[in-house]
Amino acid sequence: MKDLFKNRLQRHLREMAKYLRLVFNDFFVFALLFFMGGLGLGYSNILKSLKPGLWWAPVVALLVLVIVAQIGRFATLIEDADRVFLLPKERAMHDYFVAARRYSQFLAQCTQVITLFILAPFLSVALHWTVAQILILAVAQIVLKDSLLRLDLASAYQVTGQRRMNQWGFKWLLAIIVIATGLWVTPYVALVLALVVDGAVAVWFQQHWQKQQIRWREQIKLEDNRMLGIYRFFNLFTEVPMVSGTIKRRRYLDWLFTGIKPKHSQTYLYLFSRGMVRGTDFSGLVVRLTVIGMLLLYFVRGQWLPVFLAALFIYLIGFQLLPFFQQYDDVVFTHVYPVLPEFRLKSFVKLVTLILSTTALLLWVVVVIANRQLETAGITLLVEAVEVWYLARIYTPQRLARADKNKA
Amino acid sequence: MALEVSHVVGGYSQIPVLKDISFDVKDGELVGLIGLNGAGKSTTINHVIGLLTPHKGKISLNGVTIDQDSQAYKQQIAYIPETPVLYQELTLREHLEMTMMAYDLDQEKAWVTAHDLLKTFRLDNKLDWFPANFSKGMKQKVMIVCAFLTQAKLFIIDEPFLGLDPLAVNDLLNLIEARKKTGASILMSTHVLDTAQRYCDRFVLLHDGQVKTEGTLSELQAALPEAGESLNDIYLSMTKVDRA
Repeated sequence: MKDLFKNRLQRHLREMAKYLRLVFNDFFVFALLFFMGGLGLGYSNILKSLKPGLWWAPVVALLVLVIVAQIGRFATLIEDADRVFLLPKERAMHDYFVAARRYSQFLAQCTQVITLFILAPFLSVALHWTVAQILILAVAQIVLKDSLLRLDLASAYQVTGQRRMNQWGFKWLLAIIVIATGLWVTPYVALVLALVVDGAVAVWFQQHWQKQQIRWREQIKLEDNRMLGIYRFFNLFTEVPMVSGTIKRRRYLDWLFTGIKPKHSQTYLYLFSRGMVRGTDFSGLVVRLTVIGMLLLYFVRGQWLPVFLAALFIYLIGFQLLPFFQQYDDVVFTHVYPVLPEFRLKSFVKLVTLILSTTALLLWVVVVIANRQLETAGITLLVEAVEVWYLARIYTPQRLARADKNKA
Repeated sequence: MALEVSHVVGGYSQIPVLKDISFDVKDGELVGLIGLNGAGKSTTINHVIGLLTPHKGKISLNGVTIDQDSQAYKQQIAYIPETPVLYQELTLREHLEMTMMAYDLDQEKAWVTAHDLLKTFRLDNKLDWFPANFSKGMKQKVMIVCAFLTQAKLFIIDEPFLGLDPLAVNDLLNLIEARKKTGASILMSTHVLDTAQRYCDRFVLLHDGQVKTEGTLSELQAALPEAGESLNDIYLSMTKVDRA
């Protein structure tokens, strides 16, 4: 069983490494360094202006530590098929879970240590703590995280009977009590408290797990959600096949389709528009990029920078919409329907035009609000109009025709 | 002569699955395409609906090939796939509307037909459902409703009987019968041989990418007198010859 976890972990780490390489590309690392540098500078400026004895300083520390204590979930790496194939091995699964907790421990404790490292100057300035005090608090935090993960492990079993223990509330409460003791009383007491709790949880679990069943369904669901969260994050940077978009009815957006008349030539506009609005993949992309663009443009001033940025975001969206054309290629009716391919392409061009125009308009409004300058507004509008026209009417059909030819 | 398949060699890759296949489907005729798994039934159907292009040979529908006028060719075809495929983002109502748009049907008239069909297949209260909420059988019914909404000259039905409840099978057979009377042709592939025997006018027996034999049941019986009475017996004996 330990080997099983080892195998899975290796596979898992290989996969994560593959995606992390894609996420941390040069561009992103560069941006991240800048971002961290900026944050660090801001943090040190705040520290300089702090005087000891502020009433809210321990509250901030409490919030940060309690929230961070919840970070780092129990990574079991179990799969849906396990509840069929590993069911006969249920007792032996314990070793597997223990190995899984050890791995989760490593990641979670790294987070705790880094957080305390960052928080240390704050504690020392605002609370006048000594290095020893900070170190003791750090140990208490680590022991606390250990017991929280023990509770996660326990919840894999039905140790609390049929009724699931209100784990979530208990974990927060425990964290708040331990950390608050550390901040307002003394870290030494907090450490003792954390050690006692950790020991108690360990003994209690040791006495109970053997008589209990594994909560397969819940555990698989938790793990699936955890992985989905990770994949979603990667999906922001690259295509992840495991994240297939979900479909939402979004009835409140049905008014968008009223302009599309049920004509033969618009068969695919009918389909594309609904697919775009109700699918989360592409609509999410458009909305995300538009919102980011709007935020960015709101803070950017100048003659040419806003124009350039607006154009860049429109290009990014237009470019990434192209694969949507092939979205329905695996539905056989896309090929069987007696609709000329020209109509399909025209419908798609219309859709792209509509989306890009909307984005362009929104970005333009932000540029106008941020700059309040006739010239910038005029130039932006002109550039956007030309770009939308070129992207939708010239570039898109050309690219799709070329892709089509390559396939044939 | 509605559908004419002559000397078609074809398949998914350069290696042909179909080796020189010829058969036809006449107006108002229901032809059963019979064969084992992998005999080439689906490949044949994919060629007829234009998903695959034959390496050699010709497929024409009332004198039109897909190369001459794909629009006119496809306009005459309605297809019901074996595994139902639906647009995940469209409701049942929108699937019907999209079919009407694609086949350029008169919306008002088509909706009258649609409501009849929906009632028959007990889908009339599910117009606003998404495909994700349908069971497999229901999806299959949606496919049937969409296909019979059209005024197609040729219906191509890939294994319709598995997954449908007995009532729906019966309703489907009635629909087929009614369309046959108006002169439409049907090409149907199936494994359910006793149903095929009762309803098909003619059979095309495919084996290993070749047409082993074709004809009405009595013609088949005459050709293989020692095989037995039923389509099942005939088919089994035919494949046995090959195995020996």
